[in-house]
Amino acid sequence: MQKDNGQCPDVQNLWFTNSKLSQPTTTAMTMATTSLKLLSSQPPPHGNHHHHHHRTTTTTILSHNRLPIPLSNRTFYSLQPLHSSNNNYSRTHRRRYRVCCKAVDVKPKDASDFEATAIAGRDRLLKVPTEKIRNFSIIAHIDHGKSTLADKLLQVTGTVQTREMKEQFLDNMDLERERGITIKLQAARMRFVQDGEPYCLNLIDTPGHVDFSYEVSRSLAACEGALLVVDASQGVEAQTLANVYLALENNLEVIPVLNKIDLPGAEPSRVVQEIEEVIGLDCSNAIYCSAKEGIGINEILTAIVQRIPPPPDSAGRPLRALIFDSYYDAYRGVIVYFRVIDGTVKKGDRILFMASGKDYYADEIGVLSPNQQQVDELYAGEVGYMSASIRSVADARVGDTITHYGRKAEESLPGYKEATPMVFCGLFPVDADQFPDLRDALEKLQLNDAALKFEPETSSAMGFGFRCGFLGLLHMEIVQERLEREYNLTLITTAPSVVYRVHCVGGEIVECSNPSALPEQGKRKSIEEPMVKIEMLTPKDYIGSLMELSQDRRGDFKGMKFITETRASLTYEMPLAEMVGDFFDQLKSRSKGYASMEYSFIGYKESDLIKLDVLINGDGVEPLSTIVHKDKAYSVGRALTQKLKELIPRQMFKVPIQACIGTKVIASESLSAIRKDVLAKCYGGDISRKKKLLKKQAAGKKRMKAIGKVDVPQEAFMAVLKLEKEVL
Amino acid sequence: MLKSTIAPMLLTLHSKTKSNTILPLKTPVFCTLLPQSPPTVRRNASTNPLTIETPETPSYKLPPASAYIHLPFCRKRCHYCDFPIVALGSTSPETADDDPRILNYINTLIREIEATKTHFDPHPPLQTVFFGGGTPSLVPPRLVAKVLDTLRSRFGICLDAEISMEMDPGTFDDRKLKDLMGLGVNRVSLGVQAFQEELLKACGRAHGVKEVHEAIEIIGSCGVGNWSMDLISSLPNQTQEMWEESLRLTVEAQPNHVSVYDLQIEKDTKFGSLYTPGEFPLPSDTQSAKFYRMASRTLGEANYNHYEVSSYSKSSFECKHNYTYWINKPFYAFGLGSASYINGTRYSRPKKLKDYTNYVKNLEDGLVDLGEEDDVDEGEMAMDIVMLSFRTSKGLEFKSFVEDFGSEVAVELCKVYEPYMKSGHVLFLDDQRREITEDEFSSLVLDDERLENEIGFIRLSDPDGFLLSNELISLAFGVIDP
Repeated sequence: MQKDNGQCPDVQNLWFTNSKLSQPTTTAMTMATTSLKLLSSQPPPHGNHHHHHHRTTTTTILSHNRLPIPLSNRTFYSLQPLHSSNNNYSRTHRRRYRVCCKAVDVKPKDASDFEATAIAGRDRLLKVPTEKIRNFSIIAHIDHGKSTLADKLLQVTGTVQTREMKEQFLDNMDLERERGITIKLQAARMRFVQDGEPYCLNLIDTPGHVDFSYEVSRSLAACEGALLVVDASQGVEAQTLANVYLALENNLEVIPVLNKIDLPGAEPSRVVQEIEEVIGLDCSNAIYCSAKEGIGINEILTAIVQRIPPPPDSAGRPLRALIFDSYYDAYRGVIVYFRVIDGTVKKGDRILFMASGKDYYADEIGVLSPNQQQVDELYAGEVGYMSASIRSVADARVGDTITHYGRKAEESLPGYKEATPMVFCGLFPVDADQFPDLRDALEKLQLNDAALKFEPETSSAMGFGFRCGFLGLLHMEIVQERLEREYNLTLITTAPSVVYRVHCVGGEIVECSNPSALPEQGKRKSIEEPMVKIEMLTPKDYIGSLMELSQDRRGDFKGMKFITETRASLTYEMPLAEMVGDFFDQLKSRSKGYASMEYSFIGYKESDLIKLDVLINGDGVEPLSTIVHKDKAYSVGRALTQKLKELIPRQMFKVPIQACIGTKVIASESLSAIRKDVLAKCYGGDISRKKKLLKKQAAGKKRMKAIGKVDVPQEAFMAVLKLEKEVL
Repeated sequence: MLKSTIAPMLLTLHSKTKSNTILPLKTPVFCTLLPQSPPTVRRNASTNPLTIETPETPSYKLPPASAYIHLPFCRKRCHYCDFPIVALGSTSPETADDDPRILNYINTLIREIEATKTHFDPHPPLQTVFFGGGTPSLVPPRLVAKVLDTLRSRFGICLDAEISMEMDPGTFDDRKLKDLMGLGVNRVSLGVQAFQEELLKACGRAHGVKEVHEAIEIIGSCGVGNWSMDLISSLPNQTQEMWEESLRLTVEAQPNHVSVYDLQIEKDTKFGSLYTPGEFPLPSDTQSAKFYRMASRTLGEANYNHYEVSSYSKSSFECKHNYTYWINKPFYAFGLGSASYINGTRYSRPKKLKDYTNYVKNLEDGLVDLGEEDDVDEGEMAMDIVMLSFRTSKGLEFKSFVEDFGSEVAVELCKVYEPYMKSGHVLFLDDQRREITEDEFSSLVLDDERLENEIGFIRLSDPDGFLLSNELISLAFGVIDP
């Protein structure tokens, strides 16, 4: 046993490396052979795991895909967990793995499978009867392997050739790939032959973040089924939960899939129990899979065909197609992704968007597989795209219904909602000359992002900029990053704010998303702030810490229930303003990354709020104004001035930093002047290093905003978000 | 006060497309300050141009009149030093005479000088030579002679050239110094650093206070007429009293020149691993700024001009070699890790002995591209000029800056400094070097044309502006390259 233990890590490493190299076939083979040699002394696999059969089959097929050479007497390898009887529930226990290798005579059936895959891939645009269509999406928490699974499905069905495979095909934007999240959804049409019958499978991807829950709900509404992918070592997360409920509300057939079962920490049975208890979903036929290693993929495809119902055949009705995504293409205008619910749509048809009321001619229709491929006509049940020289995504919003201009549907599809920004911030160019560029860039982004709202904002401290509205913090960060990266702008972003509802003395109600624009104290009667209901899922060890966090953030405890022996769900109602800051970061750090959360807007509530202003060197800095609860004003004021002192670099003179309520100073700090910043010597005339330092210093200044005489860095404008430690 | 001759020259600055968008396209006139006055005509007395440069040749394209020679040998590495040096160990100066490491290095160095191509024909003789290190005084005089001979036959050396050598206490005696003087070395830069035994020890210096006094004695008895004392301020555990003492003893030793370096903590040094700038036992920022002010005041009172951020000299004893750096004139450099500036291009040699030896071999084989292109970036040039001239008390020559880089950027520069003029960090002077008052400036700044006409020089104040030179220069960088 000692010996086994010693060898296992090597084996695993080799195996992982191998799987990363999905493209170069020869390399993959060489690796396989190497692992063979390494393991020739290993005993044959034992243990009779009930998924043994599945895995062997799957691996065989995958290996075939990798092989360019004639198939005969190939060696295949597969991964087998060695079960010990008592460690199934132990998180800490590292399971031992073994690569099992055996020389197999390739059976004719395997070869025909391989060919069938190639043929299916080639024929994937062919029509199938409606009852052979399956529309599904994948519900998964970030990192639970949705993109990898999607990639694998595309590969196994021959939709994408192995050599064309980019990692995580569905995430198109660089930003998405970098962050490992899906922002804009995509779709893919696949062909899968089961028992000699060809099926058309449409995978509709969903964005994986709470900011985009409306988009998720529309994607789900375009499907009849969903794969619920849960990491077999992590368990159900709050985000997953929210989306599963959405799927169940939409009457989707949900197929539970446990992913990453190859990982040492995998505890499929614990997670199965969790899914059953939390969601109430029957997991007796849950599929165990490792998307990364290609285990269980065939089972998933078979389950999609067998368990997800086909779309109803309603091709004869007037056209109704549901838009589940759209994006702006600089050459073709907006490209709309849709699912035909009723009727058919042809190239050249005059179509009408029922919510926006705009009509266009469909220049081009087609399917996504995963690239756009033109077709002449799409029927009820099919998924495709359309281009119609549409100028802005606002004309063809997600959730809108497409119908024929000449033969209108009576009613649009249910569920359409206007995007309502929840979080606002000011965006100001560091260099005032960039204001027109910023406006152009925002207009361009808006063509592609109907949820982005903006209007000009002026501030004496910051000059001209825009007040922008976003679905949430992630959305805000993405827009900010795209502006800087794709449009080369240097921006100052002010701390995010929510929309307050101010009841004025005169009886009117003012909506205020900008703290510095809050009506004066004498003019307002009361302020209401948006409230959210927040649900956190956490291992029980962190319950105390998360309750403390929620209470500090003015949370109102609503309930707690244990979903398993070790995990609990906590529900609070709290002001959205308390959540838009670093709440999520805090939740993650306090739970060592294990807790997850989900929130929904529940309405407005009156609160005892006041405005806190900040003076730097005697100048009021509006973007630093913040609206806080009266009870927290002093501690926030103290912490804020301290934080600003930390974040603002010392200047050539002394700079006072003050926090005030009205004209009353409630906290004050002072930034002492720099005494010395000189480089002593240019040794032997070598000035290059010195020049580099000075250039770096100059570049640092450029990223700062001059407030009066004081250079203030971007981080300072976010200072109010970073107070946690000091306030508590 | 420094008064220098201005010789207006025409020049065409080759500019890259990028900088054209920043700086107006024009054919600028380059005004050159000539620092290498022969000893008979002192800088502050001179009114005549000393060299007539041909029109169309920018000064950075002229043949270099200065050469830096790096002699990297030290007995041991000092704890603050991250320089390309070769530590010999505790060899006594006598045995060092035949140290093969020195012999081999000097051979390679001579090969480098010989293999250096010059496009300049005829080549005017060198006006300054500077032996820096390392500890050049560890090199036996006969080898120094070989180097000077090589330079002489390659480029020529003026009869009245300034030939400086950095020397450390304890590495030379009367005879050695006399030998060196016989070879033409006429300026000594003595690396004293501190007058306190414990500080010298803490720095890892290879000498003590006794050797310092002996060295001063030797320099006096040999009659070196031009020598500099080098000090370091802000050393770990250095107290105000210690610094006062060092400054007092320096003044008493009566050098013609004093260099005061504020200790810089470099990453890959012993100090770098031991200390954090501004934290005990290093003095705080405030304390270290105080040391700087003390030096400026004490040496000023003893009639030393603070002519550069870290350099002080008695009238007309400025280091001519170093001054070529500050006025952006070309210079040769030979030896390990040294940096040359020829034809507008800066080039640094390899810092490792083996790489340097290969470099010299490649140079001989014609394989080295020193990158001396015609393509000089105007913005980079402007930054060099600002950064170097702001180190001097003379400051930036405003008129020639306008001519070279356009009035737009020059005017912008004045405006960015307006608050710092008011805070006393930056001084604006007219052509006669009279200081422009705050009120005058306030009215000038409203009229770009008057601003251009009235301002002659911009300089950093002493000591407040010098102390914050990085801040102030980086502001200028922001204007030049927005």
